Amino acid sequence: RSAYCAASVASLTNILTPTLFAGTAEWIARCQNWEGGIGGVPGMEAHGGYTFCGVAALVILKQEHLLNLRSLLHWVTGRQMRFEGGFQGRCNKLVDGCYSFWQAGLLPLLHRALHARGDPALSMAHWMFDQLALQEYILLCCQCPAGGLLDKPGKSRDFYHTCYCLSGLAIAQHFGSGDLHNEVVLGIPENCLQATHPVYNIAPEKVARAVMHFLQYPVPSLDPAS
Amino acid sequence: DEIGLIPCPEARYNRSPIVLVENKLGVESWCVKFLLPYVHNKLLLYRQRKQWLNKDELIDITCTLLLLNPDFTTAWNVRKELILSGTLNPLKDLHLGKLALTKFPKSPETWIHRRWVLQQLIQENSLPSLATKGNLGAAPMERIHRLVQEEMNVCSEAAGRYPSNYNAWSHRIWVLQHLAKLTVKVLLDELSSTKYWVSMHVSDHSGFHYRQFLLNSLIRGTVTDNNILVQNQMVNEQNPSLQKGEESAGTEAACAEEQSVDLPRRLDEEMELCAELIDNYPGHETLWCHSDETLNNSHQSPATSHMTQAMDVDGLNESSSKQGYTQETKRLKRAPVQDSLGPEMEYQFVDKVLSTCRDVDQARFATAYRKWLVTFLGQ
Repeated sequence: RSAYCAASVASLTNILTPTLFAGTAEWIARCQNWEGGIGGVPGMEAHGGYTFCGVAALVILKQEHLLNLRSLLHWVTGRQMRFEGGFQGRCNKLVDGCYSFWQAGLLPLLHRALHARGDPALSMAHWMFDQLALQEYILLCCQCPAGGLLDKPGKSRDFYHTCYCLSGLAIAQHFGSGDLHNEVVLGIPENCLQATHPVYNIAPEKVARAVMHFLQYPVPSLDPAS
Repeated sequence: DEIGLIPCPEARYNRSPIVLVENKLGVESWCVKFLLPYVHNKLLLYRQRKQWLNKDELIDITCTLLLLNPDFTTAWNVRKELILSGTLNPLKDLHLGKLALTKFPKSPETWIHRRWVLQQLIQENSLPSLATKGNLGAAPMERIHRLVQEEMNVCSEAAGRYPSNYNAWSHRIWVLQHLAKLTVKVLLDELSSTKYWVSMHVSDHSGFHYRQFLLNSLIRGTVTDNNILVQNQMVNEQNPSLQKGEESAGTEAACAEEQSVDLPRRLDEEMELCAELIDNYPGHETLWCHSDETLNNSHQSPATSHMTQAMDVDGLNESSSKQGYTQETKRLKRAPVQDSLGPEMEYQFVDKVLSTCRDVDQARFATAYRKWLVTFLGQ
């Protein structure tokens, strides 16, 4: 989790140096376990939140191939619930709206990593999860009538679940790979959200603008004189 | 030994909201909205240097705060300062944390603080000079052993209070890695002492993951591939516990009891446990998951490891940095295994489940397991 926060901040603000993250990618890879997912520290149980953070950090560090991508893909696709359509955070647990982003958000990252190594079997229109089923879960089960979104029916709304249900909805609605784009929108067209950047979870234009802005400044050095 | 909130929306009588019965501490709920802001504010004023509090007051205030909200990091940090200055006995914080966990079994900050306290305690324990390695008196070892046992209890209680308690089981693993040094005896003891617990909590993925951790540690400590076997023999012939940097200081390793591990038998026992639970409790994905992985491990056991070098690794090219922890994620395409009855029995087991089960999920898991058997074992 901390590694992802650091990588996210450093990469957007152009302070990312090899020294800053020396050994980080290898450490994250050690957090992948026998289940295929990633835990909080080496040895821990695979968990949706930590898996997203680990994979996204590795994408930023351009080291996603340190992972066993096949077992990761097997694990995350197994986390979509066949009845509810939403995702669980870990094996044998209940569905939760926030994993709409943490888990489903892994598929765009995996798609990109597999595409980079020339995988011929990748779809040109869809992520490797049931996008419509996830949208159904979010729209039908995770909305609070008074506004805001939530974990599952019966729970109360909060900002965290509102954020990640919406982020997950955006992921489920928008496929994009290079020049390819495909929208899959459940219900009326007005349900369509703006796309979100699968690594940073802010609008792609904002990522571009941040990167452009900070590229104007040199990478800070540790030299006290400067 | 336990705290709790007594639902009591109005103060009916002019009396204390604190109730103590048979060593259980209860607080009537009406008082929380007065008490919590009061102590919280007092602590904040102290931190902002606007109002002084002496050591006893600090201890009382932080204690009250943490029993009401143990995720208040600042309160734990004040106690860290008190411990470092010698005013507060670290063991008190272990007790306070244990109490907080009876009501808040997941509380991340409580577990985090607990690890800090334990690290302080081991540092106190360790002797300054390396020359004394191997000559430790019984007392420090005994103390550590008792600490470890107590942590196992605390984790077990917390795990029972909240299903799949990630933080409790993570802490348990951490204690084994950093306090108990993953000796064979400890691993085997933990396998036997958690067996009953997981049988009573068949959907608790964290509990079963813990058993995978124990079995994997046993496997890695003896043989996974030739590199590690050779390393163990060269570095420390006596002790099969892990020598990896962040897991073992190695100081007490020489004192660890020796016990040889019949790995294939342990894995067979685990398969039997899975089969029994799967039969008795249809439809729990965790059990199938656990069974799948245990079978996978039993086919990478020492008896068959000589076959691994000749085989292709299925799927992706992985960088050589993926040794050790993630050895078990590799799937090997291999010729039929000749030296084990395992696969035959697994097929019989799965076919029996398929023909007798009426639970839809159970049927689905069994079908998937069968497909996996065919693919993986190539039979």
